[in-house]
Amino acid sequence: MVVIVSITIGVFAGVFAVGLMVGTLDQRMDAALNKELAHIHINHKNFNDNYDINLTLENTEAINSQVMKIEGVEALANRIVISAMANTATKSMGIQLIGINPEQEKAILDLNESIIPGTGSYFEKESRSNLAFIGQDLAKELNIIRFKIESSTIDSLKRKKVPEEVLIKLEPYIGKRFASQKAFTNEMKKALTSMESHSYGKIILDESWSFRARSKMTLTFLDKNNVQTGGMFRIAGVYDIKNSMYEKINVFVLSSDLARLAAIGPSDYHQTIIKINDPEKAKEIAALIAENNKDLEVRTWKEISPELAMMVGMLEKFNTVFMVLILAALSFGIVNTMLMVVLERTKELGMLTAIGMNKKKVFSMIMSESIFLSMVGGIVGMIVSALMLKLTSTNGINFESATEGLEAMGFTAHIYPSVPGSFFVTVTILIIITGILSSIYPALKALKLDPAEALRTE
Amino acid sequence: MKVLELNNVHKIYNSSEVKVHAVNGISIDFEQGEFTAIVGPSGSGKTTLLNMIGGLDNPTEGQILVDKTNLSTLKSSKLIDFRMKNIGFVFQSYNLIPVLTAKENVEFIMNLQKWPKKERQERTLELLNAVGLGDRINSRPSKLSGGQQQRVAVARALASKPKFILADEPTANLDSKSTETLIEIMETLNKEENITFIFSTHDARVVKRARRVVTIEDGKILTDERIEKR
Repeated sequence: MVVIVSITIGVFAGVFAVGLMVGTLDQRMDAALNKELAHIHINHKNFNDNYDINLTLENTEAINSQVMKIEGVEALANRIVISAMANTATKSMGIQLIGINPEQEKAILDLNESIIPGTGSYFEKESRSNLAFIGQDLAKELNIIRFKIESSTIDSLKRKKVPEEVLIKLEPYIGKRFASQKAFTNEMKKALTSMESHSYGKIILDESWSFRARSKMTLTFLDKNNVQTGGMFRIAGVYDIKNSMYEKINVFVLSSDLARLAAIGPSDYHQTIIKINDPEKAKEIAALIAENNKDLEVRTWKEISPELAMMVGMLEKFNTVFMVLILAALSFGIVNTMLMVVLERTKELGMLTAIGMNKKKVFSMIMSESIFLSMVGGIVGMIVSALMLKLTSTNGINFESATEGLEAMGFTAHIYPSVPGSFFVTVTILIIITGILSSIYPALKALKLDPAEALRTE
Repeated sequence: MKVLELNNVHKIYNSSEVKVHAVNGISIDFEQGEFTAIVGPSGSGKTTLLNMIGGLDNPTEGQILVDKTNLSTLKSSKLIDFRMKNIGFVFQSYNLIPVLTAKENVEFIMNLQKWPKKERQERTLELLNAVGLGDRINSRPSKLSGGQQQRVAVARALASKPKFILADEPTANLDSKSTETLIEIMETLNKEENITFIFSTHDARVVKRARRVVTIEDGKILTDERIEKR
């Protein structure tokens, strides 16, 4: 029983931890490919050196039609990319200004679905002013988001089970506005105990911010002729993709607005992003495009984000290594328990040898018992893991306290664990190997028992 | 017909500085169908002698011949096989396999010998009936009394049709009624089926029923008495 329970717990811990890792990376991959990067980027071959505004793609139309003919390519979108400064009355930030055609982009990235409700839309409303679609973290940095506790905030915190004594402490702040997150957090720290801020700070922060409707910011950059230019942009909407770095840097505007302000031609673009049907074919397709366009730089998502490619490559090996380590630790438990079994059953083993059970049979009996125990423990562990994974993969697990750190690295704190089916096969094989290896020593011990002596033991 | 022959058998235990001469030059023969009690005080060498006869322990010196086979010349694996086919064991504390039923415990040794299923089942039933447990074949040892467990052990010892049965103090853990029943069963099997029994005992009531009584002390035979009419 001890063996079964310890293996069950070990396998569960291993599989579930791997599930969390796979889930985290899957989500990161999903976010990277479907919200941030797409699969392939095409630029002028020197564009990425210094983002020179004049290094546009030559004959975008021709490239577009050529790329769309390649099998596996699903969609493409052309972009203008300019380094710029974003300014509000209180703050300035260096950003990357991306001029897009929203309809083209929607076919590739689902950034439009990551809009924070109540902050506007993804260029859906006609406007006379220039529009910008910005990230939540940039909005915070530029103080476009403000913090204010209202009666409705208190009600909603009450619904989220924030204790009454905390809510009472918040009441004096009703109606008071804070221009920045820092000012708000500092004030909350004064009002609440450190325990309370730790437990409820994040939830209070989430409930208290609101977007300043019709906020504007100035975007300044150098135009085609290296003359400083820019314009006033109204915030069309704020997106949240749980990646602070990306949100702080990438500001989307309409390519028509940007082309006009930067004095570049209406069909001049710096970048084409491509979506293909299988991310693994990116290299093949990129090579095909590069072959026909020697003066272009064609990069796959693995080249654009090598750290992501490395993580994907390492994950599978790492998962197996992780399970091997867990099972190696467990094998000591199995060896110990089986030695105890041999010790407890010394008399029985002595009797079996006395009445004629040969060494081969005694050996295989102990071996098969260990393997059986390991397998039962393993299977139960895998069933428990599968159930837990099923349970948590629907609603996910929220590592709220680590949100800031995780999002800074581009990972979401709300993780939906998942494990590929093949991993269960690997685990089964590993458990059988563990069972076999860890039963050899106890089985050899059993063989060395002297039947006459064994029968004398009490 | 001689089934067992011991020639000048010695067993010396060397534990650090103490040298114990547990069996000291015993020579004795056992005929087919004998019902022998080996008696003697604790530490006289009864169990050591039985262990050596059963091939569980090797003599330091001398020969033990079972049906003319010298046990000392057999390699470990051959000896185990020889034991299974030729010697039946009944232990003081029954030593049944707790997770198996009475029937399965008796069948176990026949399983090891790969008997056909039908023969195995028939023999098991026959033996359990012979020890008066025909109605308890599906009971686990924990559901049986000490006496009943020891009867299952006797049935198990008989399963592979051995040349003789060794029983080391088979009644030591039994009450008088169970002792009586067990001895009666052993006697009946001995008389009716001509099975050779060699058992060690302290119990005077058991000794009284033996047809040969060998008394040993300090590893030597003191008396060897054959009682023809009981």
